[in-house]
Amino acid sequence: MATGEQGPTAIELRDVDLSLGRGAARVHILRGVSLSIPEGQATGLVGPSGSGKSTLLMTMAGLERPDSGLVSVAGQDLGALDEDGLALFRGRHIGIVFQSFHLVPTMTARENVALPLELAGAPDAFARAGAELRNVGLGERMDHYPSQLSGGEQQRVAIARAVAPDPAILVADEPTGNLDETTGGSIVDLIFALRRERGATLVLVTHDLSLAAVCDRTVRLRAGRIEAAEPAVA
Amino acid sequence: MHAPVRPAPGTPSPAHPPRAAGFGLVLRLALRDLRGGLRGFGVFIACLALGVMAIAAVSSASRGLSEGLGREGRRILGGDAAFSLIHREPSPAERAFLERHGIVSVIATMRAMANAGEQGAALVEIKAVDDGYPGIGALATDPQAEPGPLLAERDGQFGGIADPVLLGRLGLKTGDLISIGSARIQLRAALVSEPDKIAAGVGFGPRLIVSQAALRASGLLQPGSLVRWTARVILPDPSDATLEALIAAAGREQAEAGWEIRSRVNAAPNFQRNIERFTQFLTLVGLTALLVGGVGVANAVGRFVEAKKLDFATLKALGASGGRVVAIHLAEVMLVAAIGIAIGLGLGAAAPFALGAALRDVLPLPFEPTLAPAELAIAALYGFLTALVFAILPLGRAHDVPVSALFRDRVEPDRRRPRWIYLAIFAAALAGLVGVALAFAYDRRIALLYIGVAGGVFVLLRLVAAVLMALARRAPRLRRPALRLALANIHRPGALTPSLVLSLGLGVALLSALAFIDVSLTRQLTSALPARAPSFFFLDIPNAQSAAFDRFVAAQRPDARLERVPMMRGRIVALNGVPAEKIAAGEQMAWVLEGDRGITYAATMPEGSRLASGEWWPQDYRGEPLVSFDARGIEGLGLKLGDTLTVNVLGRTITARIASFRDIEWRSLGINFVMVFSPNTFAGAPHTNLATMTMPEAAAPAADAALMRRLAVDFPSVTAVRVRDALEAVNVVVSQLATAIRGASSLAIAASLLVLAGALAAGQRARLYDAMILKTLGATRRFVLTSYVLEYAGIGVVSALFGLVAGAAAGWGVVTKVMRIDFVFDPTGAILAATAAVVVTVMFGLAGTVQILSKAPASHLRNL
Repeated sequence: MATGEQGPTAIELRDVDLSLGRGAARVHILRGVSLSIPEGQATGLVGPSGSGKSTLLMTMAGLERPDSGLVSVAGQDLGALDEDGLALFRGRHIGIVFQSFHLVPTMTARENVALPLELAGAPDAFARAGAELRNVGLGERMDHYPSQLSGGEQQRVAIARAVAPDPAILVADEPTGNLDETTGGSIVDLIFALRRERGATLVLVTHDLSLAAVCDRTVRLRAGRIEAAEPAVA
Repeated sequence: MHAPVRPAPGTPSPAHPPRAAGFGLVLRLALRDLRGGLRGFGVFIACLALGVMAIAAVSSASRGLSEGLGREGRRILGGDAAFSLIHREPSPAERAFLERHGIVSVIATMRAMANAGEQGAALVEIKAVDDGYPGIGALATDPQAEPGPLLAERDGQFGGIADPVLLGRLGLKTGDLISIGSARIQLRAALVSEPDKIAAGVGFGPRLIVSQAALRASGLLQPGSLVRWTARVILPDPSDATLEALIAAAGREQAEAGWEIRSRVNAAPNFQRNIERFTQFLTLVGLTALLVGGVGVANAVGRFVEAKKLDFATLKALGASGGRVVAIHLAEVMLVAAIGIAIGLGLGAAAPFALGAALRDVLPLPFEPTLAPAELAIAALYGFLTALVFAILPLGRAHDVPVSALFRDRVEPDRRRPRWIYLAIFAAALAGLVGVALAFAYDRRIALLYIGVAGGVFVLLRLVAAVLMALARRAPRLRRPALRLALANIHRPGALTPSLVLSLGLGVALLSALAFIDVSLTRQLTSALPARAPSFFFLDIPNAQSAAFDRFVAAQRPDARLERVPMMRGRIVALNGVPAEKIAAGEQMAWVLEGDRGITYAATMPEGSRLASGEWWPQDYRGEPLVSFDARGIEGLGLKLGDTLTVNVLGRTITARIASFRDIEWRSLGINFVMVFSPNTFAGAPHTNLATMTMPEAAAPAADAALMRRLAVDFPSVTAVRVRDALEAVNVVVSQLATAIRGASSLAIAASLLVLAGALAAGQRARLYDAMILKTLGATRRFVLTSYVLEYAGIGVVSALFGLVAGAAAGWGVVTKVMRIDFVFDPTGAILAATAAVVVTVMFGLAGTVQILSKAPASHLRNL
């Protein structure tokens, strides 16, 4: 396992290749990507549309399987897990924040946050979900349904849900993409604050250069390849 | 500001083993998801409710009838046990045996002619009773009076209680006189109800109750007369053990009596059997409604899965396995199914009560509406299994919804084939459904036939849809854009073609099958008759008067053809020495062993018969008794040439050897018998004759009435049955059955309409989107409508054609294999039904679109 100056490696990708589609529609998206992300680091993935950053993020989260290469997260080779194994692994180790929030519309804020804990069999799922919601400033909105919350509030619920199982790795795909500037700013503050408090590794995809700038490192992709990593890590 | 909520050091990790959260969590999440409401499940719920209602109503009503029969067994039978003899009264020894066990009352039943002089003569079903009648239950008459005084002899006239039908038929009123043979009967009351009516079975004539003294005075009791004497025993201790002891003793001590024994637990076995047979038929029709509705279930679940893809992906992103995602939503779908099933059960359970209340005064049956938990449970089981069969494969697709759906709009298409686990669940549920249908079937052969046909139709309809889509895909590039668009809509991904073909094809197949059955039944009962059937049957022609009778008919109807054969009644008591009650007979021939059958003897083979195997005896045969048997006995009773058959006739037990088997043309309505004996078998035995009179052309009803009147005067003991009257009586029963079948089938057709409407409504949004885009691009309303009409009509015509053919095949199967009558290929009704179905499809399809098309596209485009 590769290690860097910052400590043990949280995520390691080696020669990852990935194509999507069939026949003539097949597109080569990731081309020999190798990347090592140390524990606790905040990494921003940037690049133009179609460069492969969301796919790279999905590959790290075990949501997409590479055609070749190694993906190792928290010391686990994801290629060795089947679909259900990956689901369980995600539930324990990876929290995901989506651009479109993806809250379950028929569940209250508290139930949404409790969901991954319930799936993991936690007996105190609702108590912990309540604590997480208070932690993101939504103590008064726990029993509201997603449709009764603003976009910013929905994203806070999504973040609380992502961090509730206390994952070692937090991934976020354009977390401010659907929010106005002010709300987006507060969401960024929240994500970084939570990540600091828990010492989680954070990987986020963004078009927002100011958001990328607050990350410990920025990885720039172009046409499925890493164009630059600043600062570079061995 | 953000206090960490990490658990304190030393506390267990939140990542508990997944098994800790099992069924409870699945159910909890399913219930949570249901908060979103039942939108999109309307057709799903209605389809299940309809099918379950049909099955629950039929089985509950059947249970009500069976329970009524069971509870009223003593009343229906007129005692705890009944011992029937044909031709003769119980002997003093037999009577003494019965009287040792309980109170004995004897009735005699026979057909006879009631002669009302100038007002005509009519066939009546006589019941001659003794002082002990009715024993159990009450005889209701108008005016109400005890049967004893009503029937007593006064001034040389006996009393009679007549069915109002007889009074109406002969224009009589209470107080009028009729004669039965040489007895004069004064009709002193109209019959309102007799407690033991059902046990006697359906008669061709109205009931006339007289005393046994009157019957004896009539002179109709001749050797060989077709009189059934039934001794009914009321036990002082009516326990099951005493009843069984009596029946066992009767078999042991009176083995030679040759009587047919019935007990209160099987008071009306034929009626009970008919209820069960008809219940099965209607249950299968109900199951058809459920299966047709299953298409609606599958469509609704398919749309549900499509709409919930992002939720499935979210759950998977949060750590739920594909299996758990499916389990949660399967639980949700089954909970929704439970709502539909509960509605169906409620309506189905209420139906017999509503029916009972509505028909209380009309039903001549001991119908006791009852809440039948076992039958309702079976109906619910049908509902759940159907829901599972049709839901599991579309739901199984949720297993493989990729989480990447949350990140990008377009994802890899679903895998084509469902995972094996869902295929296995589907197979198990289907096997369960088939198993339930077979386990509760009265006749497994018919149930199997039904399952085969239903399965075949489903598979064929899927094939038809696939072929239609493939043809549309491969069609050459057409010049007319509207036609091109219609073809593209037929085969494009997500096309409505499979669900439309399935629902419409099933609907038309049902309608068409019903139309073919209807037309065959009607034709069988009407138009086939004059050419083949006799006009009259004459029963009980005393042997001594047979020559005089022949002359009478020749004088009255010189152009008529008279066919006359000897006839006796007898029971088969053993085959190859094995007692009849121990023989496991096939469904089709079991009736031959139950009760008495008409038998005859003949030197030559009767008309309407064809020798299937063996040889007919020589005209002057004098050897051991021989018998020729219905060829169906080979399969139904396991008979073969050379086997022996023992019958009890007139109290004598005779054993004959089977010399031949005959294929019999029963439908000619000519004289024929299951058993024809060699003439020497019954040499010298007293018997009567049975005759048919066939006219080259049907006589006017008035001429027939005159013949019957003269016959009643000249031959008072001869009973004339006008075939047309008898068939009309049958026709009334058949029409009532057909109405019940149509009623149950209409539920299946309603289900197919629901599915059709549901499928079209589901496609409406996509259709609207297409229409708006086309309009935006310059297409006229006419263009859009034309392409839609072409698409719906194309799918409709292909489905309807298939439905017509499938319906004709199913109708042929029911008509020839179940009803065993001639199939009439008259497709008029079926074509009309198919045409109507196509028109309905096009109208449903265009509903909504026409109105929207007349408005500006912008408002709709904003909402799309």
